[in-house]
Amino acid sequence: MSWFGGGGHGSDDAAAKALAQSRQEAWAYALDTDTLPAFVEQRLKAAAERKVPWLSTMTPAELLLARSHGLRPLATVSGTCWFHYGQSWTNGHVDGWNYAVARLKREAMAAGANAVVDVQMRTVHSPLAGSMDFTVFGTAVRIDGLPPSRDPVVATVSAMEFVRLLEMGIAVCGIAIGADYDFLGGYGSFGAVGSERWQVQRQLRAFGGNVPVRELTDFWERVRRQAHLQLRLSAQTKGTGVLAKTQFGQLLRVERDKQPPDYLGRHIVIGTVVETRPGDGVSHDIDMVIDMRDDLSPLNGGGRRDNDLEPNNEHIGGI
Amino acid sequence: MAGIDNIPAHALERMKGLRGASNPQGVFTSDFSVNEFLLVRKAGFEPIGLCVGSCIYHLGFQLAGWNSNQEMTTLSQAMYEARELAMSRMRAEAKDMGADGIVGVRLTVKRMEWDSKVLEFVAIGTGIVHGKGHQGFKGPKGEPFTSDLSGQDFWTLLHAGYRPLEMVMGSCVYHVAHQGLLKGLSNIGQNVELTNFSQALYDAREIAMERMQNEASEAGAEGVVGVDLHEGSHNWAPHVIEFFAIGTAVVPISTELDPATIPDPQLVLSVNS
Repeated sequence: MSWFGGGGHGSDDAAAKALAQSRQEAWAYALDTDTLPAFVEQRLKAAAERKVPWLSTMTPAELLLARSHGLRPLATVSGTCWFHYGQSWTNGHVDGWNYAVARLKREAMAAGANAVVDVQMRTVHSPLAGSMDFTVFGTAVRIDGLPPSRDPVVATVSAMEFVRLLEMGIAVCGIAIGADYDFLGGYGSFGAVGSERWQVQRQLRAFGGNVPVRELTDFWERVRRQAHLQLRLSAQTKGTGVLAKTQFGQLLRVERDKQPPDYLGRHIVIGTVVETRPGDGVSHDIDMVIDMRDDLSPLNGGGRRDNDLEPNNEHIGGI
Repeated sequence: MAGIDNIPAHALERMKGLRGASNPQGVFTSDFSVNEFLLVRKAGFEPIGLCVGSCIYHLGFQLAGWNSNQEMTTLSQAMYEARELAMSRMRAEAKDMGADGIVGVRLTVKRMEWDSKVLEFVAIGTGIVHGKGHQGFKGPKGEPFTSDLSGQDFWTLLHAGYRPLEMVMGSCVYHVAHQGLLKGLSNIGQNVELTNFSQALYDAREIAMERMQNEASEAGAEGVVGVDLHEGSHNWAPHVIEFFAIGTAVVPISTELDPATIPDPQLVLSVNS
């Protein structure tokens, strides 16, 4: 365990401290200048030149399929942004993920990759108030016969799905995010009699009758639609469609003094952007099989994807 | 501690009854499911016995500056050493059984209710041997290989032209600096990145990954499959986080498969209910 640096003996200890210090300074500089520290560059360069073992999040089956389609794993690459959402939780998510993805790409480029597959979105569940870390990591791959890309594709689908899509002529083009929040009747609005908030209050207090809560329904629908519109806009520049698997919505109620409560709706959608033409068929036949796997597999309705959007509870009520 | 001399007598007794090349009538034990068992067999291997290693570890104490980003080296070392001890005991048991390797290894960390400084590490998996006594599947230094891949994944890995060498891991416990009050005030009402936090996560993750990669290089691996990064806090203060990277190091069985010879998978729809 030479890499633990001595473990507390005089000059060894001092050397280890100096090394740790210089690494931190390198990270600070790298984050500041949108670059990578020299030791990361070196590791990724060595991975690109196959001087060190490749690191891959792929399962053996994915590895097999990736290899048969000319994909070679290079390295596990990642991106992190710890974001404080003082102004808006919802927009913070958009910015946080976007920064993290940009940094992931930087590492992928250093490894000379064409794409990053199996990109997982994670967060450290930490009770640090009003902030959250946005972390993405995945496997940088090189496609045989292609030069390194200037702008590697980031795919939140597994290597398996990436290859399947390619096989059917569908290119994965990146990640799209859409998010929106709103307050019923506008933020901090005075709940004048007859306003939406009063009407909702009346409907919720309806005595004994079945009453659809119209204003609240419309409002919540608006927020969702707006988020999906943002998703479309975000995808438009990259491809022709989005497979949005991650959907997260919350309708929160905040009590107010001598007035009907406020309602905050927020909705976030994240998806994989693909480029495909309408009407392109699926060229394979489908067999019916019995799945031998016991734990969750994509076949029996599971998967190991672990995209993480849960809010931390301290910040309920934030926008 | 590991080694045949230290295996208790009753454990040796138990092993005598196990199945092996010399004792084909013996009973095997495993935690395989039916499907896992079938696929390990299909790969040409037989299970012999469940291998367990554990380690109860008392974590040392280390002070971190309130406002400093730093690795908690005492804890990193502890987390790594304890896991390594559990794994090597499991490996010793497998070796005594005559296993070629252990598949489906689960490596868990448990907290003890009665002392927050004590953690229990358990490694458990099924020891297997090649049905025809082929010796080429052993891990580094002739020790049994270890792998956290399931029986199904083991079959697929061999099919992909690779064999597992050993589970490789890297651990880094890190103290994330607290924000100063002034800095905190200046962020009120704004959406901004907290760069010193980002930096801490980067540093910690990079260290954990480098350590795992070093292990893989030392084992003579070509690559590592199934890499996962775990993040956890084992009853520590909120600003202390462990990054743990783990995966199975692999090497090609003979020469690397020609991509053209890999059969195309079929599209299927599961009829499992």
